[in-house]
Amino acid sequence: MRDAARTPWVEARVWDLPTRAVHWLIAVLVPFSWWSAHSDHLPWHRLSGYTILGLLIFRLFWGVWGSPTARFSNFLRGPAAVRAYLAGRAGPVIGHNPLGGWSIAAMLAMLAAQLSLGLFSVDEDGLEAGPLARLVSFDTGRAIAKIHHLGFWVLLSLIGLHLAAIAFHALRRRDLVTPMITGRAVVAPGGQPPLFVPRWRVLPAAVAAGAIAWFIAHGLRV
Amino acid sequence: MSSRHRKWIVGAALVLCAGAAVGADLTGAEAAKARIAHMKALGGAAKALGDQLKSGAPDPAVVKAEAAKIDAAAKALPTWFPAGSGPSSGAKTHALPLIWSDPSGFAAKQRALALAAGKLDAAASAGDMATIGPAMQAVGGACKGCHETYKAKERS
Repeated sequence: MRDAARTPWVEARVWDLPTRAVHWLIAVLVPFSWWSAHSDHLPWHRLSGYTILGLLIFRLFWGVWGSPTARFSNFLRGPAAVRAYLAGRAGPVIGHNPLGGWSIAAMLAMLAAQLSLGLFSVDEDGLEAGPLARLVSFDTGRAIAKIHHLGFWVLLSLIGLHLAAIAFHALRRRDLVTPMITGRAVVAPGGQPPLFVPRWRVLPAAVAAGAIAWFIAHGLRV
Repeated sequence: MSSRHRKWIVGAALVLCAGAAVGADLTGAEAAKARIAHMKALGGAAKALGDQLKSGAPDPAVVKAEAAKIDAAAKALPTWFPAGSGPSSGAKTHALPLIWSDPSGFAAKQRALALAAGKLDAAASAGDMATIGPAMQAVGGACKGCHETYKAKERS
């Protein structure tokens, strides 16, 4: 008889600090963005959007230059890998599973779409506007604002799927939340624990992302 | 009066009514549509002025022209809400019936806008760039001050 307690599951570092920090900041700022728009606090809404913009740009950098579990090349897998995962034929995964990886990509893409639309949005009175709204007419800016509004529900649906997946795994006694807080997870044996990239890489990536976000927030003017 | 006479009178009255309707300025729905077009133009002027102020190097000529448009619109605004041009007209309007059931409250909001727009126009005409920003904010406050009570919230 197999003794489950003896199975050599190991604790491994799964998510590096930058990946976790970006995740939780976005998790806080997306609801804040919704609230600040809903309650007519447009200056806060813009500031929240610019911050998310910087975080998203950083995350894109980190997706090619960050630790293995943060890299797009590691978690964006082809349809065969997704099918194998869904059929339960995939081996143990450290980081995003093949299906979850696409969920992350969809949320990041929708966030990018929302940010882009917000930059050109104009409010009903022509008083509040995104930093690039000067490049479009009032009517175009209003139309973009309406799409921006609808886009939130698309983003919310994707977040709903994300939370449903977390709940699904929780029911199967797989905790995905704690690893996103501590960075550590108990993983099946056999997987190669990822080596994190050196911390100093955060600095150039953050400075570049911040500078680009600042430039966009200032309407592409220095 | 014979029934024949009565028919003539009714017929003549109907013709007169029809003529009056055709000759009237606008139907309620047309007035609502015209108002929406006016409001869009006003929003466009506010945006154009805002774009100038945010540019860091506003063009005084553009600022002056847009401020004049806002002032003219603010002064004309009381004529944009004829009776019957509310939601009951069938037009897709965000104007709330309260506009017509609370005329004095609505008029106070219109006066607040006209006052703010007058100050904006004066600042723009004088080329006083330092006071245009606050003057524009006051106009925006007047827009919002009225919309929050008398306009149905837009879905975005």
